[in-house]
Amino acid sequence: MNGLPYSSILVYLDGSEGSMNASMYAILLAKASKARLHAVYVVNTKALGELVRSHIFVDQEQAEYLADLQKDAARHIRHIERIAASKDVEVTASVLSGSPHKEVISYIKQHGIDLLVLGSVNAIRSRRDELTSENDRMLRTSPCPVLVVRDSDDLWAQFEEV
Amino acid sequence: MTLLEALDKDLVKVPLTAADGRGAVEELVSLYAGKVGLPAKERDDMLSLVMDREKLGSTAMENGIAIPHARIEGLKASAVVIGISRLPIPFGGKEGTRIFFLVLAPAENPTEHIQILSSIARVCSSDLFVRMLQGAKTKDDVFQLFFD
Repeated sequence: MNGLPYSSILVYLDGSEGSMNASMYAILLAKASKARLHAVYVVNTKALGELVRSHIFVDQEQAEYLADLQKDAARHIRHIERIAASKDVEVTASVLSGSPHKEVISYIKQHGIDLLVLGSVNAIRSRRDELTSENDRMLRTSPCPVLVVRDSDDLWAQFEEV
Repeated sequence: MTLLEALDKDLVKVPLTAADGRGAVEELVSLYAGKVGLPAKERDDMLSLVMDREKLGSTAMENGIAIPHARIEGLKASAVVIGISRLPIPFGGKEGTRIFFLVLAPAENPTEHIQILSSIARVCSSDLFVRMLQGAKTKDDVFQLFFD
């Protein structure tokens, strides 16, 4: 740690509006705490594989979705790089593939991350483990503290002001 | 959006009345179209998209469940329409299909579509859950199983 609350912050990107809010918050936090900022997008190849094995996807569909997910990842990485640069914050951005929560937890351990920033986490509406979202899994299993960013219109204004 | 957020009690039909696969999907598409006020032409286009996808390979799983799906240009939010048939319906699987999950997703959000499809696949890998779903008599019964 650098004497400030956090030295390495990771924000998880999944293309949702919640993760875009989390990106802005993480950038502001990194700037204020002079922490290094990391961003990770995980192409969920585990789910793609499962969908093929269970006959929900055909091979052609798997290839199309994989290409679309990779494009989506690149788009969101470019977005965070652009908005971070607008606040003079450097970001180390990576596209990984596999099971999102496992890849994120592994990244946290490998890179000494001391804060994980997530977009909105769902209210608990079911006790079925199979329906737990990736964000929920990260929240429950992260080895470092987790900050959950709530959806808020104020965040945009706050981001613009800094 | 997660599977639980996409579920809507108004988009559950128990029982389905169709005797064939196309008819079952048509019932589900019509239920969705009625709920969101989709014009007949758009409803028919949606049905064609779903059935064209089925021609590439049936989405029927081994346990009497099928997950027909399509990505729709301009769709505002993902939707999951559930139908349960009293009798097995031929849908390209080894055994007939009794439980249908029609998944409609915006073309622009592949991540969300995959999350919803894989959540359905995971929850339906439980034989107990599938048996309870097959035994559901009302849309409330179906809903309760997910939100238990």
